[in-house]
Amino acid sequence: MMARLARAEMPRLRQMLFVAGAVAALEAVNRLTGVSGSLLVAEIIIMMVFASSLNLLMSFGHMVSFGHAAYFGLGSYGFALAITRFDVPAEAALVFGPLLAGIGGLVFGALCVRLTEIYFAMLTLACAQITYTVLFQWYDFTGGDTGLTGFMTPRFGLSEANFASAAMVLALVCLYVLWRVVHSPLGLAIRSVGQDRYRAEALGLSPRRVQLVAFVISAFFAGVAGTLFAVFHGNAFPDYAGLGFTLDALIMVVLGGLNSFLGGVWGALVYTLLKNFVPLMTAHWELILGLILLAIVLVMPHGLAGGVKRLAGMLGWGALR
Amino acid sequence: MTQLRSDLILTARGLRKTYGQFVALNDVNFDLRGGEKHALIGPNGAGKSTFISCVAGQLPGVEGAVLFRGRDIGSLRPHQLAHRGIGRTFQISRTFLQMTVLENMTAAYVIAADSWTSLRRRVLARQQDKAANMLRIIGLSQRAHERVLDLPLGERKRLEFGMALAGDPDLLLLDEPTAGMSIKERHHLMDFVAERIDATGKTLLFVEHDIDVVLKIASRVTVMVRGGILVEGTPAEIAANKEVQAVYLGEAH
Repeated sequence: MMARLARAEMPRLRQMLFVAGAVAALEAVNRLTGVSGSLLVAEIIIMMVFASSLNLLMSFGHMVSFGHAAYFGLGSYGFALAITRFDVPAEAALVFGPLLAGIGGLVFGALCVRLTEIYFAMLTLACAQITYTVLFQWYDFTGGDTGLTGFMTPRFGLSEANFASAAMVLALVCLYVLWRVVHSPLGLAIRSVGQDRYRAEALGLSPRRVQLVAFVISAFFAGVAGTLFAVFHGNAFPDYAGLGFTLDALIMVVLGGLNSFLGGVWGALVYTLLKNFVPLMTAHWELILGLILLAIVLVMPHGLAGGVKRLAGMLGWGALR
Repeated sequence: MTQLRSDLILTARGLRKTYGQFVALNDVNFDLRGGEKHALIGPNGAGKSTFISCVAGQLPGVEGAVLFRGRDIGSLRPHQLAHRGIGRTFQISRTFLQMTVLENMTAAYVIAADSWTSLRRRVLARQQDKAANMLRIIGLSQRAHERVLDLPLGERKRLEFGMALAGDPDLLLLDEPTAGMSIKERHHLMDFVAERIDATGKTLLFVEHDIDVVLKIASRVTVMVRGGILVEGTPAEIAANKEVQAVYLGEAH
C-alpha cells in the first residue's frame, strides 16, 4: 500500500518541480532581459494558452480545427466591445472576452460537430471566415478593418514585466483547468469519442454532445488568450480572427507534438521564439522558418513534447508527460 | 441446462432493408426469448450483420418494427439503446486503440454510469475500481497498463466483450466475435462468453461462422439465407436439417 502510494506521488512531485522550474526560468527571463524580453515572454505565454486550447481538440478529441482563431478573435472583441459599445469597466469587461468566445464556440460548434474529419475541419474554416468577415465589415459596431483602439491603456498600465508575470499566473490557472479536464471523466469521454466514435456510441455516449462540450471548452480558453492579447496591445483587429492566427495555432500544436498535453506549450514557446528571432537574422525568414519546421517534424515525428519525453526517458526522468 | 425464461426480450416484425437494388433484409420476423444464447448463421450476404445493425440502431432507412421488452426502439440512436440495456461488439473489433486496457474499461464504466460530464477525480477513481474488477473477471489484469494497440486480437475481442458488459446490458449483440481468430482462440473466447452469459442471466444474440462453436454454445439457432429466415430451432434440429445442410455445405464451405 505504501509502496503504491509512493509510486503514485512521485511523478506528481516531479511534475510540480518541473512546472516550478519552468515558471522560475520564464520569470527570470522576464525580469532580467528588459522590456523586449518581457514583451516576448508575455507573447509566448498568451500563445501557450491559445495553442493548448486547440491542443485539447486535436490531441484528445482528434478534431482538427482550421478556424481556431475565430475564438481568439471573439475573445479580443468580446472584451473590447464590452468597453467601447457597452461602457463596461475594463476590469469587468475581461469576462466578456472568454464568454463571447464560448458562445461562439457553442453556436459554431453545434454546426461543426454534425460532420466529421475533413468536413468538420472545412466547416470550422467556414465559421472562422464568417467571423472574420463580420469583424472586418461591420464598421458601425466592430470598427471594421481599422479595428478597436484607444479604449484602454495597454496592459492596464502595468509595466511589461509585471504584465508578463500576471499573464503567467492566469496561464497557469488555464493550463491547470485544461489538465484537470483531460484527466477527468469528461477527458476520458473526449478521448473515447476521438479514438472511436462508434465504440463510444455503442457504450452510451452521444458523440456530438461530447464533441460540442470539448469545442466550447476549447473556444473558451482560446477566448481567454484572445482577451489577454487585446489587453496586451490595448486593441482588437479583425486579423486576430484571421487565417494567420489559425495557422500559427495549428503549427504550434503540430510542432509541439500531438497526443501530448504539453504539446501546445512547447510549440508556443519554440514557434514564438523562431518567429521573433529568425527575421532578425535574415530577410528570407519565412524560408528559414519553413526549413526549421521541416527539420523538427522530420527528426521528431511526435513533436517537441515527444522529443522531450524521449530525452527525459534516456535520462531516467520519465515524469514529463 | 439453464432454465429458459419465456418472456420475449426482442421482437422484430416485417424488417426490410435495401441497398439500392439489393434487398439485404426481406420481411424478417424474429423473436428472442430472455436467457437464450441465440446464434445467427448463414452464408455471406444472408443479412446477419444487417439484422444486428438494425437492432443496434446503426442503420437508417429500415422498414418494420423492432421491439425491445415490448417497446419500439426503431427510432432510437445507438447511445440511447446502450442506456436501455443493449450492449454490442462489432465485426471488426472496436476499442480505443491508443488508450491502455484499464482506460478503455474505465471509459466504458464512466459512460455506462452516465458520469462523463464530471470533472471529479473521485468519480474517475470509483469507475476505475469497477473497471479493474472487470479486468480481473475477463482475465486482462496483467495487461491493464498496456496500450490496446499492443494487444493480440483475441485479447482485444475479450476486452471489447468486457466493455460491452460494463453497462450491465440485458441483451448482448456480438457480430462475428471470433472473426480472424484461430480455432483454439475461438473456443476459448466463446466458452468464456457463454459462461458469463449463464452466470449473469443475460441474453445473447450472436453471428458466428464456425458451426462447431455454434453447436457447442448456442441454445437456439436461426439460419438466414438471402435476406430472410430459412429456419429456426435447437442446435440439434438445425444440424439435422436437410435444407440447412444444402445451403451451408453448398455455399459456405
